[in-house]
Order: sequence, then structure tokens, then C-alpha cells
Amino acid sequence: MRPLPRFRVHRPESLEKALELLATLEKAKPIAGGTDLIPLMREVEVDVKHLIDLSHIGELNFIREEEGYIRIGATTTLSDLVASELIASKAPALWEAAASMGSPQIRNRGTIGGNLCNASPAADLGPPLLALEAEAEIRSLDERRWIPIGEVFAGPKVNSLAEDELLTEVRFKTPPQGAGSAFEKIGRRRAVTLALVNAAAYIEVEDETCRVARLALGAVADRPLRMGEAEERLMGKELSEELIEEVSALCGRLVRPIDDVRASAWYRREMSRVLSRRALLKAWRRCAT
Amino acid sequence: MMLRFKLNGEWIECEAEHNETLLDLLREKLGVKSVKRGCNVGECGACTVLLDGRPVNSCLLLAPLVEGRSVETLEGLRDKPIMRELIEAFVEDGAIQCGFCTPGMLISAYSLLSRNPKPSEGEVRRAIAGNLCRCTGYVNIVKAILDAAERLRGED
Repeated sequence: MRPLPRFRVHRPESLEKALELLATLEKAKPIAGGTDLIPLMREVEVDVKHLIDLSHIGELNFIREEEGYIRIGATTTLSDLVASELIASKAPALWEAAASMGSPQIRNRGTIGGNLCNASPAADLGPPLLALEAEAEIRSLDERRWIPIGEVFAGPKVNSLAEDELLTEVRFKTPPQGAGSAFEKIGRRRAVTLALVNAAAYIEVEDETCRVARLALGAVADRPLRMGEAEERLMGKELSEELIEEVSALCGRLVRPIDDVRASAWYRREMSRVLSRRALLKAWRRCAT
Repeated sequence: MMLRFKLNGEWIECEAEHNETLLDLLREKLGVKSVKRGCNVGECGACTVLLDGRPVNSCLLLAPLVEGRSVETLEGLRDKPIMRELIEAFVEDGAIQCGFCTPGMLISAYSLLSRNPKPSEGEVRRAIAGNLCRCTGYVNIVKAILDAAERLRGED
């Protein structure tokens, strides 16, 4: 275990000031909860001279529903998500993912923006936010843009942001009445564990017909992925356990997982099938309620 | 850098390095030894403290980040009624074992009972999911937390 690099910590109290620091300081990185960054810096050499602490920026910490969107500030903690009635009732997939992560201690510090920007292929918030078709707001001093959540991920542990950019907000359309979503995960144990595979499903049913189906899997490729081909086979159909079983088997063939220290590619394929089925069934059951 | 924060109810000012964790600051400079270093990467929970009333791993928390905030450790919580009851139950139920994980366990249990006076066994287990015991397991620890909760409710 290596000592932490010799960086300076800056504590801006406004977003404007944080963006200014990111734009002007050399080798600067934002830090929110630090639950990924600190262990990373103890494990590998991280070339960083300045850390910009985002925790004093009040305008980045919120969960609210506005003009048809659920909007979540980047420094909202996993515990904040779990405590939110709005998230629990409207986006149970996101709620379940947040509740499954780390430990109480980690959830009290880890943030939605940090989980995405850390860009782990196993990031638990990846699949539910993909299934909800969320977008991320990316800001720098002179630019502000929205990108689909999947585009935050550029590769294993690499995000797509430029050095002077910050992920400031995540938003998705408020799911309509009758929509259902669900998250499933398998790890080596239940708490404080990285997902071997994770999955999230989102379904809208109208007059017995599946109008919208979205399914996303994590830890089965270099970044979390939507299962477009599987979704196509569900939309416009009357859902049944048999159809979901068939589509889930397809997912097991669509993914391209790797063997690593945590699990074999074969096992991840099998679990992709199992978790796709569980997530789809659970999301479907939630449509009516 | 100069750092100002509330430690166990009292505002203190101290010198801290930019790249120092709260765990190091507490143990090495401020003499707060109930906070243990186990894994140093946020998995074992032996370094758990309360930050603004919520349990966090002090090994993952840079000292500069606690500026203006409140940090509580077992030293400051030991005389609170909930903690007294927990400590007594840990002793009586043999939940201490080697003792290394005990301060962190107690902080997590204290946080749970402060919010939820009547937890189920499942809720107790989830509350201490971030605290590892490497001795003989969790049976007596869970029992002690449930016993303390029961006594605090006056159902002895």
C-alpha cells in the first residue's frame, strides 16, 4: 500500500469557483466522497497535484422533480438516494442499486457523480441509469452540455470528460404511472462487494402490450451496456414468463464478458441470463402497481 | 494547513497535512486511539467515526474535508445513554472477542439505535455490514445490539 500523493486540497464553495480551479490548476482532480479515489491512490500511482473538494458546493446536492424530470445533483450521496421517497417510488431500479452498494459507511460518502465518473464497468448505478435513459450534465467554465449516461463511460475506469469538465447533474424523465423498473446484482457476498454481474430493467405496459422495454447489464463488457436486441424482442408483444426466459437467454449470448480474478466469463454469461430474467420479471410485476 | 472542526462536541483547531486522512490525524496527532486502522481502504470499518452524525470510514476521509464539520468517536459517545447500554450489553454477551473491531461496531450500532429503537435482526446485520469481525463471528455482536435496544426500550 503506497502513501497518498502530495496534493493540495482546495475547498471551493461555488460551482463557478470549482470550474475555475479545474480550468487553471495543473493535474487537478475533483473529489467528492473519495470512496473510490482514496483506495485507488493507495493502490496505483495517480499523477495528481490538486484535489478540488466538491462537498461544500450546496448547488450540487439535490434530488427534485421538475418539469417532467427527476433531477439529481452530482454530489448526492447513495444514502441520500436510499432516503428519497421520490426515488423509491418512481425509480425503484435506481433505489435498489444504491441500497446494494458498499456499506452504510460507504453509502454515506459515495456519490452518484463519483460512481459514474469512476467509470467502473461494474458501477452499480450504470445499468439502472441506462435503463431509465438518464442524461448527465457536463460543465466547464464556458460550456454546458447534456450527454446520454452511457457516454460518460469511455472504457474500464476511464470517463469521457475533459480535464476541465465536471459532471454536475443526472436527470431522467419521470417514469409514467404504470411503469416498472428493477435492479439485480450478484456478488461474492451481499455487502461491501463489487458486482460480478448487475442488471436493470425498465418496462411500460399498456393494454397488456409491452410498449417500452429497456434492459442494461454491467460488468459484462468494458462499460455498462444496453441490450438493444433483447429490448426489440419484447416491445409490442404481450409479456409472458416464456418470452422473458427466451429474451434472457439471448442476453447470455449477447454479452462479451472476460475472465478475471472475481469470476469467469462463462459464469458471467450464465448470470447475465439469470439476472436479466429476474430484473425483467420484477420490473414487469411492478408495472401494475 | 490549519483545520477547524468539532471533535466530540468541542471546536478544535489543529495543523493537518493536505494528504493526511482523518484516521491518521485522530490517532497520531490528537491521541484518539479508539479509532483503529484495519484495512485502510474502507472495507473493514474498524476506523468508523460519526461525521455530522453519520457513520463513515475515517481512513477514506481526507482530514481537510472535515473543516467546519462535526466528528464523533467512542471517546465522546461513551457516556451517552444509548452507548452506555451498548457497551454493557457487549460486555455481558461476550460480543467483544479480541476487541479490535469493537469501537467501529459500537459506532455503527449507536447510529442504528439512534434512528431506530426497535430494529429487527436483519436491520442490525445490515447496519454492521460495513464492520468486519475476524474472530469468531457476529452472533454475539448481533445479540448484544438487540439486547441493548430492548433494555433501552425498558422491556428488560
